[in-house]
Amino acid sequence: MKRIILVLIALIILVAVLVVVLINKPSLVTPSTTPPSKIVVYAYNDRITGIDPSIEDDTGLVVLGSIYETLTYYDYKTGEVKPRLATNWTSSEDGREWIFRLRNDVVFHDGSLFNATAVKLSIERARDIYRNSGRGAGYIWDALEEVEIVDPYTVKFKLSYPQRVDILASAAYASYIFSPSAIVKSNAANYTDRKLEDWFNSGNAVGTGPYRLVSYDPMREIKLEKFNDWWGWRYINSEKAPDIVVIKIETDPSAQYSGLLSGELDIASSVPRETISNLKKQGFGIIPLPTYHNFVLFYNTKRYPTNITDFRLAIAHAVDLNRVVSEAVLGMGSVASGVLPHGFPGHIEGLTYEFNLDKAREYLKRSGVSTPIKIELLYQIDYEETKKFAAIFKTLMSELGVDVELNGQDWARLKDIARGVWENPEETPHLIVADWWPTIPSPYDYLYAMFHSESKEWNYAGYENPVFDELITKAWEMEGVNYTGALELYKEAQLTLYQNAVALGLWDEIRPFVYSQRVYVPEEALNPMYTFVIRFELVEVRS
Amino acid sequence: MPVSLNYIFKRILLSILVVIGVIVFSYILLLYTPGDPAVKWAGNPRGPEARKAIEIARRELGLDQPIHVQIAQFIYHVFTGNLGLSIAYKVPVSQVITSGFTATLELLIFTYLLAVPLGLWLGIYSALRRGSRFDSFIQSLSVVLASTPTFWLGAIIALISYSTTGFLPYGRVSYKLATSTGFNPITGFYLLDALIQGNYAVFLDALLRIIPPALAISVYPIGVVARVSRTLVAEALLEDYVRSAVAWGVRRNTIIKHFVLKSIIPPVIQISGLAFVYSIVDAMVVESLVFGREGLGSILLDSLHKADFRVTIALAIYLTIFYISVNTIVDIIQASIDPRVKI
Repeated sequence: MKRIILVLIALIILVAVLVVVLINKPSLVTPSTTPPSKIVVYAYNDRITGIDPSIEDDTGLVVLGSIYETLTYYDYKTGEVKPRLATNWTSSEDGREWIFRLRNDVVFHDGSLFNATAVKLSIERARDIYRNSGRGAGYIWDALEEVEIVDPYTVKFKLSYPQRVDILASAAYASYIFSPSAIVKSNAANYTDRKLEDWFNSGNAVGTGPYRLVSYDPMREIKLEKFNDWWGWRYINSEKAPDIVVIKIETDPSAQYSGLLSGELDIASSVPRETISNLKKQGFGIIPLPTYHNFVLFYNTKRYPTNITDFRLAIAHAVDLNRVVSEAVLGMGSVASGVLPHGFPGHIEGLTYEFNLDKAREYLKRSGVSTPIKIELLYQIDYEETKKFAAIFKTLMSELGVDVELNGQDWARLKDIARGVWENPEETPHLIVADWWPTIPSPYDYLYAMFHSESKEWNYAGYENPVFDELITKAWEMEGVNYTGALELYKEAQLTLYQNAVALGLWDEIRPFVYSQRVYVPEEALNPMYTFVIRFELVEVRS
Repeated sequence: MPVSLNYIFKRILLSILVVIGVIVFSYILLLYTPGDPAVKWAGNPRGPEARKAIEIARRELGLDQPIHVQIAQFIYHVFTGNLGLSIAYKVPVSQVITSGFTATLELLIFTYLLAVPLGLWLGIYSALRRGSRFDSFIQSLSVVLASTPTFWLGAIIALISYSTTGFLPYGRVSYKLATSTGFNPITGFYLLDALIQGNYAVFLDALLRIIPPALAISVYPIGVVARVSRTLVAEALLEDYVRSAVAWGVRRNTIIKHFVLKSIIPPVIQISGLAFVYSIVDAMVVESLVFGREGLGSILLDSLHKADFRVTIALAIYLTIFYISVNTIVDIIQASIDPRVKI
């Protein structure tokens, strides 16, 4: 038996030595024959819901944004729409016809040529799938009658009512251009055939972007490879750009933090906020990106007492948003002004309710609601910050004599309950915290979805106001001919919401993107309009 | 032949019935869980036609049918091998589950290859020194090991590993190493795949990363096997045939190898088999929550979170078949090595 003990001890020592040697001598692990390719691993915090360029309107953006391109690009810093696959564009006076001239030096990842046919096919497919089934973000092309091919590198968008097509063409979803060869490759009968959708979602792509899809596992990782024939390399120094990009699905923020420390990850999108200062001290680069992802508190306008405007105003004035941002979001957010996030087209300042308990009590008195009274708050438990907000909110409301019953749910359940405001308002909580991020850089995106009376899936306030509906519809149609005038109408619509306290903008998220010293991520590589998409062509690999 | 065809036939029949039962039970249970699968299938539609999209999705998923029709259709699909596409990810359900399943299974097999021999050795050694301090220590240790929360131990192991060596066992393999060396999983068992491809760098890397979670999960089987084998050996040593052998002057090592070990192996295999299927729960928690490894744990949580009932039920079926298979294999092994057992 002693012999066995000795053998075991020897084995343990051997394993321990092996472990230590391998850790300290990574050259033993990495064979010397390894090709010196520049690999960047980017941790993304959610699994991918699909990569059909015409239909996907959720987490697939993080992949689509690197492998496909749109005709135009929204520059969030200047608010301008810039050329991408289109070189320039003009519109008719009535805003119903838009002519786009296309680049003639672009090829798709399979070698096929980019031209007007691809644009027509891609845009009309997004529109038609939406019209047929209601799926995807093709609703942005509601006004589109036809994409006419003028010549191989010119297209004309014909609309039924005026639109800013240059803005629509820069959308985060439903505007990506794919090669017509995809139809042949997928054996689809036409572009709405389900076979084409299945072909895309099973890990196929033919875009024009700087990176091409190598492998696709929506649960674990997506591998991209530098596309050497990308037209843009002529304008961007490609020497330091990564050869291979791995988008690693890492849903746990702590695991992203661990991955950065262990050197496995180069860029992380969702580390715990508490770890930011520590990462900074350790030399990691941080880009605090002001995003268009915002959090809004909806009042159930169909149930007592939140159906009373003065009661809603009382609550609005009793919420200390600075404290909320400081304690719930740990400073990684900005106090909201209205329901459109800072920097977003149409955003206006001055729509933050002053934190003033005297004013709140005054409104409460005016509302005729006697206290103590109990109301229910529905919030999402998937976000750490909404959980913290709920606790702070409960404390703040107790100052008014309002007892808040907290109802935390995951997103799926929250949505089930919240949309009940239309069919069963008396059973739906008085207050609902929800979040939103846009598809297109237009105020209509937020205002329609969250407050139009026809948007029964997302209007959690149950808000019905024909005047408001008309205002935003008019503004949407005016965007194509008089953009400034349209913004004025959107402003009026926001003031209506503010004065009636339909919802309380809470905070606009600031997302810290963290990168290791191995890489350099310039600020231009990120854009809140395409949240989580990193322009890897601008990323530099240092070692 | 200790294993009759009748036994295998009965087991298969039983498995089918159990799988049907699991489908019915899971389906009904999932009706009451949060989330509308139709909303997910439609892709969380945002536009004015969102309701239309959800209604179409409901029809496509068959959720507009009466519940018994839905269940019957699901059972039909399962037995015709067509579980369909994942509701959340639009890829085949089998693809979603298989890679997670192999990841968890690899971790478990590796764990048990270490844990069972070690537990067995501790138990035998302890029984041979019955009443000694070592025996008392091993008995106490086995209780502590069997009752240690694995997720807690896993976190401690990860912390110690990082603070002492600077190495954080994160994930199954280094992505950079795997990508740069052209590692391409074939079976999904990374250690095996790396060996098949002769990619020793990836093999060593995967080995380093599997050891910490395996250590955390191994405490339960080590504790259980040590305790059971100690008791069995202690009992066997008191048996008449052992005492007779001692009286005839047979060498102690020969007695242990040829009489004692032979008698305790079948029950140890049985207990190890039971512990193996039990440990899958530990593995599901530890792998994803502590070590950032892919596996069944994260898939299950995610499918529940995203109302992906196809994946949830398929996972339940996989686990049921796994449980039955392991028990059947254990029975067959037992019958093969113990002539007293007939099945």
